Amino acid sequence: MKSINLKENQFIQFHQKISFKFDGVKYFGYKGDTIASALLRNNINLVGRSFKYHRPRGIYTCGIEEPNALVQIISEYSEPNTRATIKKIYEGMEIESQNRWPSLENDFGSINNLFSPIFSAGFYYKTFMGPHKKFWKNLYEPLIRRAAGLGKPPKDFKGISNHIHHNVDVTIIGGGLNGLLAAKSFINSNYDVLLIEFEEQLGGIINNSNKISLIDNKEPKDWLKETIQEIEESKNVKILKNTLVTTYNYINHLIAIEDRFVGSKPIEGKVNSTLHKIRTDHTILCNGHIERFLSFQNNDLPGIMLSSSFEKYICRYGIAPSKEPVIFSNNSNSNSLVYSLIKAGLKPKAYIDSRSGEKIEPNLFDLIRKNDVPLYTNSQIKGAFGSKKIEKILIEDSSGALNEIKCDQLCLSGGINPDVHLFTQSKGLLDWDEKDLTYKPSKPFQPTITLGSASGQFNFDHLNSDINDKLKNFKIKKLDVKLELNTNAKYNIEKLWEVSPQKKSLWTKSFIDLQNDVTTKDIRQAITEGFDRIEHLKRYTTNSMGTDQGKISSINALGIVSDLLDKKVNEVGTTIYRPPYAPLSFSAIAGRNCYEFYDPERKSPIHNWHLNNGAIFEDVGQWKRPWYFQINKDETMHEAVQRESKNVRENAGILDGSTLGKIEIKGEDALEFMNLIYTNSFTKMKQGSARYALMLGEDGMVKDDGIICKISDQHFIATTTTGGAATVLGCMEEYAQTEWPNLKVFMNSITEQYATFNISGPKTREIMKKAFPDINFSNEEFPFMTFQFHEFNGVPIRILRASFTGELGYEIYIPSNSALKIWEGIQSFGKEFGLAPYGTEAMHLLRAEKGYIIVGQDTDGSITPIDLGLSWMIGKSKKDFLGKRSLTRSDTVREDRKQLVGIVPSNKEDKLEEGQHIILEKEIKSPVPMLGHITSCYHSSTLGHDFALAVIKNGHSMIGTKAYASTSSMSTTGVDIVKPVFYDEDNKRLVS
Amino acid sequence: MLIINCPYCGPRDQSEFSNGGEAHVKRPDGSKEIGDREWGEYVFIRANPKGLFYERWVHTHGCRKWFNCVRDTSTDKILVTYKLDEKKPNLNNFKSVVKTPSGEPEVGSGNFTVEK
Repeated sequence: MKSINLKENQFIQFHQKISFKFDGVKYFGYKGDTIASALLRNNINLVGRSFKYHRPRGIYTCGIEEPNALVQIISEYSEPNTRATIKKIYEGMEIESQNRWPSLENDFGSINNLFSPIFSAGFYYKTFMGPHKKFWKNLYEPLIRRAAGLGKPPKDFKGISNHIHHNVDVTIIGGGLNGLLAAKSFINSNYDVLLIEFEEQLGGIINNSNKISLIDNKEPKDWLKETIQEIEESKNVKILKNTLVTTYNYINHLIAIEDRFVGSKPIEGKVNSTLHKIRTDHTILCNGHIERFLSFQNNDLPGIMLSSSFEKYICRYGIAPSKEPVIFSNNSNSNSLVYSLIKAGLKPKAYIDSRSGEKIEPNLFDLIRKNDVPLYTNSQIKGAFGSKKIEKILIEDSSGALNEIKCDQLCLSGGINPDVHLFTQSKGLLDWDEKDLTYKPSKPFQPTITLGSASGQFNFDHLNSDINDKLKNFKIKKLDVKLELNTNAKYNIEKLWEVSPQKKSLWTKSFIDLQNDVTTKDIRQAITEGFDRIEHLKRYTTNSMGTDQGKISSINALGIVSDLLDKKVNEVGTTIYRPPYAPLSFSAIAGRNCYEFYDPERKSPIHNWHLNNGAIFEDVGQWKRPWYFQINKDETMHEAVQRESKNVRENAGILDGSTLGKIEIKGEDALEFMNLIYTNSFTKMKQGSARYALMLGEDGMVKDDGIICKISDQHFIATTTTGGAATVLGCMEEYAQTEWPNLKVFMNSITEQYATFNISGPKTREIMKKAFPDINFSNEEFPFMTFQFHEFNGVPIRILRASFTGELGYEIYIPSNSALKIWEGIQSFGKEFGLAPYGTEAMHLLRAEKGYIIVGQDTDGSITPIDLGLSWMIGKSKKDFLGKRSLTRSDTVREDRKQLVGIVPSNKEDKLEEGQHIILEKEIKSPVPMLGHITSCYHSSTLGHDFALAVIKNGHSMIGTKAYASTSSMSTTGVDIVKPVFYDEDNKRLVS
Repeated sequence: MLIINCPYCGPRDQSEFSNGGEAHVKRPDGSKEIGDREWGEYVFIRANPKGLFYERWVHTHGCRKWFNCVRDTSTDKILVTYKLDEKKPNLNNFKSVVKTPSGEPEVGSGNFTVEK
């Protein structure tokens, strides 16, 4: 096969040579070439091996519908399955063919073609069944994966993409003739318009074919230039090029992917694709049509191409893949190819049409006669033959006689289909057109308009009236464009899906899906075996399930199936078109929401100090909190936690509590508001005092807890749990706005503005005195649950005397940017008293010893304050607060509610675990009634044994009795049910 | 298109908002005796119609204001948004057009991309 460079072309820069490598060999192309056009320029048509049978495959199309020419881009992290027909070349590009070994020319796997008679539809399902399940995973699957497939997985790389949001009135998809005309009529209107084109150039059919000779009495390319300029200069129409709309979601939400490096190598560290998320009032689909192929024997040979693709190579890329192709068609859409060839000084070797003479336009006859092109009407191609490329074809003419023609190229046209993918994604309905033999958009479900061939208008007869009519509801100017055509063709298709081969053997193949190697025989077999519903048939044969989604062949399959079943195509239906229209990378979908931005990490202002001091971190919501501090590499977590907690009980410990939620509440009615939000009553509380408070849901269940500091009746500061901060603030805002808008109150999060340090332990007072010498920490001056504002070295701080460990403790609130200095100061002052930092795990252990709950661990949204034994926290005199009425619901006053108790093993040596069920029977005999489960469990070196908190049915009245904890090994551990407090029950240490 | 018209900020993308369930559900007055049924309905019972629905939304990643709207739950179209203290619009002013949200048959699933 010899291709011809046609030097007259506006899109290819023939003065700019580009070198690239294909399978290790260096070739040259020109600036503007795709991989496919550059390979054709170098007379290469064998570009890959097929999925299953390893048959030689070439370039079949000239666009996104390509099933065969998929290549691996070595120079881009070995990106597999790239369509050679759309990827542009650049200097130094390295490409490899796929699914062949050791080489493309001599592929070992092509032996599969010999065995092909056994590889029919359902082969894997039927064959690899036994003798044991393990055979599939360990033997069959690895073998099959090696033998079949497309490209190899790419190397690791960090793809960078970003997202752009658009909110427009009208989105026009497709910048071809209709898209441009629609965009043109919107110029200077009051609509914001987005025009999206997949290719680098606008123009579509004007660039890709010679169908149109004059537009408004101008050369098409001049008209195009003027129109594009007009659109570009307009203020309300924005053009996105190199952008493919992949998804048409519900409520006119479109997703489009823009390639930022067309014709150049993506730069590492730069954004290489942009995902556009478009919200639009109206969508106008002008995304054109896709040509389909025909099935006959060996219709997959390299050298066979769709006819409009051939024409596109001539018009758009300035290359004729062959000097004298044979054309085979069943419609008039391919007439312009004959015209284009002759215009380029070439001529078809033969023109074969399955239709009879009267259906063919006279002007095509004229053209063919004038140029002495052999013409076969009422004829069909029975088969194509050749080893690695097409060498000859067999024609059956109207009389039934067989003719053999030698040729190096065959151009096929089996008709055209509107590109209905996006329309059906939008849930629009299709209807079969018996005349044009294709599915066309019928009822849109969303405000979707289809124009041009995307709507099934396969000629230009009603161009103006169609656009004007469909856009009549917009306040825009009417269109009046005059078109003159080179080949004045009606579409005139005649039904032809498949030509049966002349001689049948086990090895005869007529393909229906080129990418997945599905033959028409597979379809027949599937139907015979009962897979006659189109969705079943698709999955059984894998027809149209490749990366190309059967763009050039799925309608043919429907045609064949409808004939076999003797049903109308409409009755067979289509399979459902699902997004995306073409594969898009995960990195594009992820955009910037990956790596460190996937889920933001929140860090305390002294995070680096923890890092430098052996902290092992725990994730609490988005926060990183020190879990425990390792004093040396050999220390285990258990050892560290026991050491830290013992130190708090004996000396003093310091915890970074900066992650606790902090909410400031201000306003004239702040007191009333707080009384409504929390269970406690704050009315009688003195200024400068603090209170442990509970927040309930309206169902009466504990939602959050925290300490409320009352600065005045008009000013409170509330702390929340680390994870609950946002929810609590949201809840306060909701009630302030929706239920009590009459209350004058405002709230704001100050979580990140203040760091919080919790110091506790018997020696805390000594340390505090030393660290803050001007402050009197005596019990009289600074009693438990009070707070004071001070200034320390010019920094305003607030000290709260409170404790979550049961020891004497203080919480210091410091503006975040001064936190580290003060933290380090306290560390050095505390050294002589044995002060050491402790992490969240030791904190959990210490609080559990005191029976302090953690909301979300000891409660689960079904626990009331009464269940927790915290009835004293309920402001009974208050008329109302969140969830108050629910505390007297029949469910919440029920006797057998799960209630918080303490659990200790009867035999102190025994171990307990979180999640263990508490049961009454020693022997496990199912069914075992379950009383409840352990919510928190630790080993305490202070107590010398394991202990736990649990919620069990009717727990409060069971205190003092014995029960059992079931283990995963079906045995039980005897336990004592006790009060949920294990240490310093009288709070002596707390208030000392 | 899911652009929500915040009564305070104007039209913004739906991803900035959070849904708050049925609107115009009045919290019983806590200063009075509340019956079990009345309270139970307030806490647990919400309407879930197919069609027009009064709904609360909050501009979470914006002004953080709550507001009300009328949404057609079968098409997801938000027909009008209004401030909390504004009177609720009469539902008869709107019509719910689509019977089934995606145009699929009411019974069974199957192939509905083709007009039958």
